[in-house]
Amino acid sequence: MAKSKQPKSATKKPGPSVIAPPIADPGTAETPKSGKTKRASPTARVFPVDTRFQQLARRAGGVPRDKAIERAQMAMEDVKPAYEEFLGREVTGLAELVKNVEAGHDEPGWLETATFRARQLRDSAGPLGYELITFVAASLCELLDSIEAGSECNMESIVCHVDALMLARQKSYRGLRPEQVPELTKGLQRVVKHVTI
Amino acid sequence: MNLRDLVILVADPSSYISMLIHGMLRGFGSNKILEVRNSNGVLQTLMGQKIDIMICDMHLPPHGGLSLTRAIRGKTDNEHRTMPILIMSSDSREATIKRARDAGANMVIAKPISPASLYDRLSWIAFNPRKFVDTASYFGPDRRFKIEGYPGGVGRRAGDKEVEIGAESGPALAQDDIDNLFSSVQTGQD
Repeated sequence: MAKSKQPKSATKKPGPSVIAPPIADPGTAETPKSGKTKRASPTARVFPVDTRFQQLARRAGGVPRDKAIERAQMAMEDVKPAYEEFLGREVTGLAELVKNVEAGHDEPGWLETATFRARQLRDSAGPLGYELITFVAASLCELLDSIEAGSECNMESIVCHVDALMLARQKSYRGLRPEQVPELTKGLQRVVKHVTI
Repeated sequence: MNLRDLVILVADPSSYISMLIHGMLRGFGSNKILEVRNSNGVLQTLMGQKIDIMICDMHLPPHGGLSLTRAIRGKTDNEHRTMPILIMSSDSREATIKRARDAGANMVIAKPISPASLYDRLSWIAFNPRKFVDTASYFGPDRRFKIEGYPGGVGRRAGDKEVEIGAESGPALAQDDIDNLFSSVQTGQD
């Protein structure tokens, strides 16, 4: 009698392991004078893994790629109205924070907060098609990252970016692409280049 | 790809970005999505239930997604040790991508994330399982692998069959370059 095929267990331990040729670890490998990479360890255990994710994701009956992407885009359209509110809240919050810092008020951790808000704007605006906001927020992120890394903190350059974000969130600018407002984008690029050098 | 009944953990400090990813995953057919905002939330969730895949931000507070990945991969008595981990990063410099790979991430996806790029990366993990390597200094998916086109022939480059490593031309990498970097050890370019 033929044996029935056992389903692969999601929690089963790693399958048959093999002793593989040594694998150099980039973090620990030494490079001798010959230029060849010295092996980091004498042996490495290599074993196949078939996780529950892989087993179940390969099942029949899934959503075809085109349909899945179309549905994902529709789902994102559904969250767009909430995004308008989010955008207003984030830009206003950022503007208030920068204004307080500029006025000399004590704002502990303001750089981290500003960076978090700028990253949120950059990473969320793109998938929803707000390219100009993504551009300005990315430029602000670059500026804030450079300050974090030790560049001089030039508040005027930050205010300049916040003003650009205020402009970019207005209805008449929201749907524009960066190349449609070259004066704005080139100006920001110049500011960042000047401050981060 | 069938994501129904798979438990997906989205770890991102931003509630809005989590909501976007949540929407994308629902569009892909996923019906069990959890969200957390920090590493502690991840660890608590992993202790409480079985997670099938984690999509984690590189800057997840307090110590970042890579420290978390290393912690999950490094803990030997941990049922999630081989769980697929997809790292989201807006920093796509080569050094950063290499750090993610060496921490044990399965893949890196560049932010801002599009539905197509997320679908393709999930599909890649599902249909191209990689062996795991356990050494004294590394535990994670085999970093020596070759990308031979997108799963099922889908993706942005239908004829993409060869590994092509682009010359370093700038500080940030495109998603294709990120994917290729994960395969560069195989081709001897790392």
